[in-house]
Amino acid sequence: MRKPTLKTCRRTFQIFIALAFIFIPVLNRSRYSFVYGNFLSFQAFGVPFADPLAVLQLTVKNWYFTLDTFIGALLPLILAFTLGTVFCSWICPYGLLPEWAQKVNRKFVARSPREGMSGRKGFPYKIVIFSLGFSVFFLFSTTPILNQLSTAAWYSRFFQYYFGQDVVSLCGLFLISLLCFECVLGKRFWCRYICPQSVLLVLVKLLNRKRLKVVFAKQDCICNSGYERCKMACTLGLNPKTEDNVLETECNNCGDCVVSCQKMGKALSFELPFAGIPFPHLKIQVSVLFKFLVVAVFSGILFFGIVRWIFHRKLKRMATRFSLRRELFSRVND
Amino acid sequence: MIGSNHFLRPPGARTEEEFLSRCLQCGQCAQVCIFDCIQMRRGFNFFLAGTPEINPKVAPCYLCMRCSAICPSDALHDIDIYEVRMGVAELDRKKCLTWKEELLCRSCYERCPIKWKAMILERGEYPVITDECAGCGLCEHVCPASAIVVTPTRFQDRSNDPGKKLS
Repeated sequence: MRKPTLKTCRRTFQIFIALAFIFIPVLNRSRYSFVYGNFLSFQAFGVPFADPLAVLQLTVKNWYFTLDTFIGALLPLILAFTLGTVFCSWICPYGLLPEWAQKVNRKFVARSPREGMSGRKGFPYKIVIFSLGFSVFFLFSTTPILNQLSTAAWYSRFFQYYFGQDVVSLCGLFLISLLCFECVLGKRFWCRYICPQSVLLVLVKLLNRKRLKVVFAKQDCICNSGYERCKMACTLGLNPKTEDNVLETECNNCGDCVVSCQKMGKALSFELPFAGIPFPHLKIQVSVLFKFLVVAVFSGILFFGIVRWIFHRKLKRMATRFSLRRELFSRVND
Repeated sequence: MIGSNHFLRPPGARTEEEFLSRCLQCGQCAQVCIFDCIQMRRGFNFFLAGTPEINPKVAPCYLCMRCSAICPSDALHDIDIYEVRMGVAELDRKKCLTWKEELLCRSCYERCPIKWKAMILERGEYPVITDECAGCGLCEHVCPASAIVVTPTRFQDRSNDPGKKLS
């Protein structure tokens, strides 16, 4: 059997996640109690996940966060720190749908499919929109209103409303109209220029210079400049053939360009996180150690989740008692 | 029920301000509710959309306290059912069948989760709601004469609010 390419793996995983968030409300309606929530906050087998931006809004307004939200926000941020914004390319359902919209666009709408889009433009717009939205939130609102701009949350919330409450929600309409817009434009407009949720992930990713990234070896490249498979494969319209990878702020590490280059000259390849950092005592590289670290971290998360699943009620009670006592004390001091 | 402001927050909710600033709109409380009484709020008001609400006329809260245990951001405190103050039920004695002496009803008393604390029977017959009322809305749901109305805590005058120190 042929070994599946990275793109097949990625697509399968994306579809799995997208389907999972359809079936979570159905499972909950049938009283299966191991997985809850939507893309803003989510828990499976006691392991919490949360949107870092939602938790940031929570923390900024209250100067207070809970263990659940802290760990939940930390997990995506650690993922972004080591592997880049793989959340956007592997997990987010609104990463999957616009990719299909773009396919539709390239097949039916666009006149010249090879027309390259200029890269590296999106992130400044995103920063501007993010800071605008965040200042509006900071000045006028106590509710975390930036949550309402999360397309992934729209997606999962639509099914929460539909299967949980038998109501067809309007966020589905928003989502479909946005997708039609993407079909016409074909540039993954929302992901590149607006999505405020990804800004934090990108900022955290930029902290780590030795993260997972696509590297380009110029001497191996055999394609001529007119017909560049890698450039066409990139759904974000970036050019992977730059030596210093200046476009990396926007690159989602989806690996489409790497797969497309496999048949040509294998000039593009992934560089493992923490590559080149030697680990002195064991005389191996940290990137090799990283694989073991991933296994360790995942088993740790699983262990933590199971423990928390068992003692959940007790922990929450303790936290509540603590915060209540703190509030009572602060009222006494007033 | 779109647009109705007369909804209750789930049990253990903080004051409305604090609740809104902490609620992540993730809907876990609505998904964990085995009685399907917690609904995620609909509508165009994006300060409120996605936050949990309970309409006691449609489905009252049974005070199982699963929602407050699961809330990840502590917008809902996990407290005992005796400390819950979602609202306060008020009984209109002119409408109540027992007080009108039309028939011996007791539907509200039989259903009250905090019997003999939140609701007592005066002289063994006439239902009276006390300060211990959690405001779950069960009595409003079952009352055949709709004599009971639950006022949500956030609409009450906070100076004489019995649940002030907790919510």
